[in-house]
Amino acid sequence: MKSFNLRTLSPLLLALGLGLARAADTVKVGVLHSLSGTMAISETSLKDILLFTFDEVNKSGGVKVAGKNYMIEPVIVDPASNWPLFAEKAEELLVKDKVSVVFGCWTSVSRKSVLPVFERNNGLLFYPVQYEGEELSKNIFYTAEAVNQQAIPAVDYMLAEGKKKFYLLGSDYVYPRTTNKILKQYLKSKGIPDSDIEEIYTPFGHTDYQTIVASIKGFAAGGKSCVISTLNGDTNVPFFKEFANAGLTSENCPVVSFSISEDEFRGLPAKELAGHLGCWTYFMSLKTPENAKFVADFQTWLKAPKVTGIDYTVSGVDTKGRVTCSPMNLSRIGVHLWKQAVEKAGSFDVDKVREALIGQKFKGPAGEVTMQANHHLINNAFIGETLPTGQFKIIKTMKGVAGEPFSSKFLGTN
Amino acid sequence: MHNDAKVGTYIFSFIGCQSCGPLRFLQPFPTPGPSRLRYAPGSLARTLFRFLRAAAFLAAFAGILARADAPARARLVRAILSEDVTEQVTLVRELTGTDDPLVVQGLAAWRSGSLFLYPGPDGAAGQPFLSDGSVDPAGKAGATRIADGEPVRDATGTAVRFSAGELTAADTSSKLRKAIKVVLDLRAVEDPEARVRRDAVVKLGQEQESEYLPHFEQRLSVETVPGIRRVLMEAIALTQLSEADPKVRLGAVRRLVEIRSISSLEPLRQLSRKLQGGNEGDLLRAIQAAVKEIEEYQARANLYGTAFRGLSLAAVLLVAALGLAITFGLMGVINMAHGEIIMIGAYTAYGVQNIFRDAFGATGTGFETYFLVALPASFATAGLVGLLLEQGIIRFLYRRPLESMLATWGVSLVLQQVFRHVFGAANVQVNSPHWLSGSFEVSDVLLAYNRLFVIGFAVFIVVLTWLLMTRTSLGLQIRAVMQNRAMASAVGVRTERVNMMTFAFGSGLAGMAGACLSQIGNVGPGLGQNYVVDCFMIVVLGGVGSLPGTVSASLGVGVTDQILQPWLGAVMGKITVLAAIILFLQWRPAGIFASRGRGLEG
Repeated sequence: MKSFNLRTLSPLLLALGLGLARAADTVKVGVLHSLSGTMAISETSLKDILLFTFDEVNKSGGVKVAGKNYMIEPVIVDPASNWPLFAEKAEELLVKDKVSVVFGCWTSVSRKSVLPVFERNNGLLFYPVQYEGEELSKNIFYTAEAVNQQAIPAVDYMLAEGKKKFYLLGSDYVYPRTTNKILKQYLKSKGIPDSDIEEIYTPFGHTDYQTIVASIKGFAAGGKSCVISTLNGDTNVPFFKEFANAGLTSENCPVVSFSISEDEFRGLPAKELAGHLGCWTYFMSLKTPENAKFVADFQTWLKAPKVTGIDYTVSGVDTKGRVTCSPMNLSRIGVHLWKQAVEKAGSFDVDKVREALIGQKFKGPAGEVTMQANHHLINNAFIGETLPTGQFKIIKTMKGVAGEPFSSKFLGTN
Repeated sequence: MHNDAKVGTYIFSFIGCQSCGPLRFLQPFPTPGPSRLRYAPGSLARTLFRFLRAAAFLAAFAGILARADAPARARLVRAILSEDVTEQVTLVRELTGTDDPLVVQGLAAWRSGSLFLYPGPDGAAGQPFLSDGSVDPAGKAGATRIADGEPVRDATGTAVRFSAGELTAADTSSKLRKAIKVVLDLRAVEDPEARVRRDAVVKLGQEQESEYLPHFEQRLSVETVPGIRRVLMEAIALTQLSEADPKVRLGAVRRLVEIRSISSLEPLRQLSRKLQGGNEGDLLRAIQAAVKEIEEYQARANLYGTAFRGLSLAAVLLVAALGLAITFGLMGVINMAHGEIIMIGAYTAYGVQNIFRDAFGATGTGFETYFLVALPASFATAGLVGLLLEQGIIRFLYRRPLESMLATWGVSLVLQQVFRHVFGAANVQVNSPHWLSGSFEVSDVLLAYNRLFVIGFAVFIVVLTWLLMTRTSLGLQIRAVMQNRAMASAVGVRTERVNMMTFAFGSGLAGMAGACLSQIGNVGPGLGQNYVVDCFMIVVLGGVGSLPGTVSASLGVGVTDQILQPWLGAVMGKITVLAAIILFLQWRPAGIFASRGRGLEG
């Protein structure tokens, strides 16, 4: 209902504003994240951080094009964790609302669903969540971690720690399967034989991890083993409970998880995961002045959520126990990169902005990022150890890892 | 990838100790000996000055103590300040066997990146220090010097306080971290806590380094815990496998077979590959025989393991389905809200946990007993909800199964949304009490306490239900109403009251199931959805209205699932089980134990 009101009201307001005093120019920006359904837990946080960033941009004078200051005006739609609905809502944003850019999607399947819509209408989408790669659309910019910015550094770290056996465990869908396929190839290129790699999938919502944990225990009996986990969401709880009960620890068999960030820990018992590892291009515990400011600004904003400069009411923001995480950081970076590119191009035109985006730099909370010609970022990657507080202690930093979507390139196959 | 060692060098040079590099060996750090005498026991010595002999004796004694610590501490300081990784590793390895707790603490802190350097005055080396653990309200901790265990003092002599965030930790390389780990592990072999000892021995045994042998043997001579004696023998034998002497190796192989060491399989196989075609035929044959015997043992252990896991999955299914076996099986109400009643039980456990945590704190015996209260509390809450549900909705729909199905489905949606609204969409955390965490092993079969508990609990509620049905007058009335409502009513059974009590009891069982399931899975608004399909499957497969049917169906499904899983994987395993159930129901539509009731026929 909220978005309906907004959509009907905003042209009126805009007309009113233009007609009366040309009080402020605005630019419409789409937010395409599920606010209901199964993905709402994760995606609502991204909607919040986007509103925060719009507020941040507007406070600093908005987007400056041709001597005018345009205030960002969010158009929020709810695709309700329903993949076909993602495409419909994207169409609506591009055709009906005529937004200049869209920030959105979490799951790969939702991205795949909207991709043809953006290509057909020549729209612009920023995608902020770690994904499996093997895709490159001229209409999508991937601030997200590619496989070689998350999975590969994590595996490298494990190899450097002397691990010789890898147990690849994932939920049964496209991201884990593609990532593990790439990892298997990579491990083979590093001299790990097939017999020392196990690849196992479980359905969504799987609760019975007895057999899998027993097989991991057998797998790890000879030592020098680790688990690379792409298990999604709350299936991690029964898995880690069973794991700990079997006497397995981060000492005798560490688990690296790619799908658990600080934000996920709001619903997970971090105590059971303490000591295990995560790999992201941002951690809330990073000690940079930019990050300190980012975290503090977000906390302040949460006390009175609003978007400065336009007539817009922010509602439905959970204010308790909020944290920042990598997808949130990358969402924000996307907005800033887009703003810089628009200002450089001097236009909101998608083709011009796309050109201006390449080579755009932004000094973010985790260090400077650069948008490459392949629409992926050069970014720093970090390995962190889970603390009982749900934060990560950073144990290794890899500077300036260039995101590469195609595994054939970084594996040197092809 | 960048080189850690180099980063370390940069930090050391930044501290400004280049000039003291060569001096370090000529002029080591102020040794702890004299400083101790000057500051700590010094005043004591002054007091005892008149008693010359006693004083001399004491001073000498303190000196010996301090000097025993001194080389280890000085060595560690040297290692930390050294710029040469090889030298660092050598120095660290020389610390093996040290008993100085400060050195051990320092090593652990260095490895985990919480050891820092306090810059010395111009030209002097930095002082390595670690936090003394005392954090003041400003978040700053005191600093303990590695060299002598004294607080770090600045130029004016005041003790320095620091916050970890402001400092750069003394850097390590992965090679160095490994060396530190070995020193710490070798120390852990002597740790007073059995679990720590065990882990350390297992880990070091896998390294197959003959220099660890004396440590294992020494420990074995004093070790009394049988489980650790076994891993010690295993570690010794594993290490001896890599020795040159064929006789030692042969002895080691024999011992590995004797203790049936599954973790030795991999090294044995490797060794047998290496010996292939060599001229040590006896050893090779012995190893091959050993591999075969251990593999057979492993297969047996796997079999028992699968049986236990099957039993435990069966117990989970049974616990979840038993309530439905009453409400659906006996009463014939297609209760789609069964899953949500389970959820209510799980959230009750969460509530009880929170009350206990507020009352007793998050640890300790008081908190640990919360689960014992949670079980009856869940029974009561869920039973009450079931009672209201029966009185409010279901009793009007007994003769209309389709409507009752739709109504209960509606109730399930309402309940989910209510819980989402009250507790939030995210899962809530129910912590397992200590006595339900962990496991023990019986001849390599892993028995987890929470699983054992669920199995025991399943037996308990089945017996409870059976007693209620066969030994009480309520049970007699329930059976009478189930078989023929009109006749029961005619002989004076208050059928409405019986219906109400039965539904409440079934719901109560579901509630207890929720509390039980909170120990092995997630607690969230979607909890019920995860179980309701399985529950219906079990009840229908077992035969509607038959308690033995429900028990045997859960056993069948649980064990089959666990047998299939290692072969087919979790996804295909589940599909196969479902397909098998469909085929079975085609063959016997009434389930395993078909029974006559007013259930679905009415």
